[in-house]
Amino acid sequence: MTKRLTLEEQNKSNTKAMVNNPIVYLQAGVIVIFAVMPFIFPSFRLMDVMAKIMIFTIVVASFDLLLGYTGILSFAHGMFFGIGAYCVALILYHTSAPAWYHIIFAIIVSLVISIGLSLVISFFSLRVKAIFFAMLTLALAEFAHILGIQWTSLTGGEDGISFVLPSIFNFNQSLGTLFNTRINGRLIVYYLILVCTILLFAGLLRFIRSPLGRVLKSIRENEPRAVALGYKTFGYQIYSIVFSSCVASLGGILFSMWLCYVNPDSVFHTAIMVNILLMVLIGGMGTLYGSMIGSAFLIITENWLPGLLKSIASLAPENIIVRNMADRWQLYFGILFVLVVIFFPKGVIGTIRSILDRKQQMK
Amino acid sequence: MTTQTIAFNTDRKLMKTGLNRIIGIGLFLLPLIWMDLTTYLTLTIAGISLGMLIFLIASGLTLIFGLLDVLNLAHGAFFAFGAYAGYTVLNFFNSLGWIETASLSSSLFYLVAALCAAAGVGALLGIVTEKLVIKKVYGDHLMQLLVTVGVSFVIVEILKIIWGVNDEVVPVPMGFQDSFILYGVFIEYFRIITIILGVGVFAVLQFFLKKTKIGIIVRAGVENREIVKTTGYNISRIFTLIFAAGAGLAAIGGTMMAIFNQSVDPGMGDQFLIFALIVVIIGGMGSVTGSFIGAIIVGLSFNYVAFLVPKMALGVNFMIMAIILLIRPKGLFGKD
Repeated sequence: MTKRLTLEEQNKSNTKAMVNNPIVYLQAGVIVIFAVMPFIFPSFRLMDVMAKIMIFTIVVASFDLLLGYTGILSFAHGMFFGIGAYCVALILYHTSAPAWYHIIFAIIVSLVISIGLSLVISFFSLRVKAIFFAMLTLALAEFAHILGIQWTSLTGGEDGISFVLPSIFNFNQSLGTLFNTRINGRLIVYYLILVCTILLFAGLLRFIRSPLGRVLKSIRENEPRAVALGYKTFGYQIYSIVFSSCVASLGGILFSMWLCYVNPDSVFHTAIMVNILLMVLIGGMGTLYGSMIGSAFLIITENWLPGLLKSIASLAPENIIVRNMADRWQLYFGILFVLVVIFFPKGVIGTIRSILDRKQQMK
Repeated sequence: MTTQTIAFNTDRKLMKTGLNRIIGIGLFLLPLIWMDLTTYLTLTIAGISLGMLIFLIASGLTLIFGLLDVLNLAHGAFFAFGAYAGYTVLNFFNSLGWIETASLSSSLFYLVAALCAAAGVGALLGIVTEKLVIKKVYGDHLMQLLVTVGVSFVIVEILKIIWGVNDEVVPVPMGFQDSFILYGVFIEYFRIITIILGVGVFAVLQFFLKKTKIGIIVRAGVENREIVKTTGYNISRIFTLIFAAGAGLAAIGGTMMAIFNQSVDPGMGDQFLIFALIVVIIGGMGSVTGSFIGAIIVGLSFNYVAFLVPKMALGVNFMIMAIILLIRPKGLFGKD
């Protein structure tokens, strides 16, 4: 007779599985690195890079939910990111005495706008075809960019808006020192970003592992079959679009709070969307963890590549073409993008997974 | 039969039914309520010529989509590159001092030279792109979308390396700056040239697709590549040529737009790609006739609304797109 496990024993075996799982250590390690970094190396540039990696991790992960798990290519993801960023910027800029509840208010407003807009987009375009969705969202994203530039009375046009964060988030406010590091508003915002990233990423993981997430995967693999099994695929796709655009706009709020400045080119421009796409592709579509690798790679390169190219260009200072080619470092991202799509479509995590799978099959 | 072939074979003349036609004419005349006849005619001619410019870029997009089943998001980049190529040619003539003194006929010559250069550069760019990149992703929509976004990014960056990031003023041949008066309406020569060019391209495309042998081979090739190959036609070369033709059309549109706006900037490709996408969505994907009608609708409504409610000008195209999608989710001439 097989012995039935009691609840306590089950918990024990779960704990044992966790202890043996290297992924858990990896996750904990990454979180600890991000948490202690500001105290070990208190340099602003490093903190800036780390904060941006975290923000883009969730934006890219939410995009991966659409592209990798649902098989929908949306070019409006950058737009939702921008909506979040502009909501918090506009509300804090236009109130005379910003307080903490204004941030909550901005979050609610941006979520309402994102939900409404993503519902409208899906109702218009999902009825037809995935390719249609891509076209419509691209047009809409461009429209948002133009609106951001031209609606100067609201958005401040191309100059953008800079604002001051309220109460404890205020960058100029100092709350004493700890381990030789000044605790100021910027550090608090950094930890806010860390906490939000962990929560949102866990939420996304939960989402794809739920029954709903499994239905989404089945739609990606074979939509007619999912329909034949009795799933209303339209509804499930809408869930995924709404959820991921909400996460993207929350990412936008964090981005805007970190920089205390937004302008149309920094959040609505096509280049942002291309960056997000590149991050997803480098990390691996449909892996979620890939978003971390992709955004870390891209943001670190973005910080370090221009300097490197400039030093190369200084070897031939007279040549204008060489100088221009060094200035346009985005060109190399574009080339990398095309190469990754054609030759490396699984991305880093996807490739590692397929190698591991092959090894297991060999055994 | 596949989607695209049907779309080209039988562009069902939806507008032909009486009711649709009356509604169409009614909407066309609607702006007369708010403006007098002269303004209306001026705006109509400007709108149609803007529509023809948009048709030039949209036609390449819909040609590539309809025949090769590739949604080419790098189309805006081809457009911008063509604009800069045309600008370079005109600038060269300007440096010789010929532009300011040009009569109408010599202006036309400069225009043709610029258009030829642009079309050549665009077609070359199209061939390179197709051979290097697009060839590898036929049949996979998602990959096509991703890869063409990347290509677009690369081309715009190359453009910035060659010509710089700033806006440039395009020298417009003197002959085009004249206008003549017809029933009290000022008509610029350049607008008439645009309309002639647009209608000409439309006619040539229709003739090419429906009457020539290459058109038939292409349509057959879309349906079944293998069988066309076995009959001895080099289908992959034909596909390359179609892609190059689409890119060349975008480049021609770019030069025309550069002269129309009298300026070029690196971001212009993205801007007009939206117009082209809206036109293709309105007209139905893959239908040249649909794009033609869609472009006229977009051009006219943009001009009317820009006159009546300037702030709404861009939004109105989205509204029209939304309304048409509600009534016909596949666009006016779209097939499934």
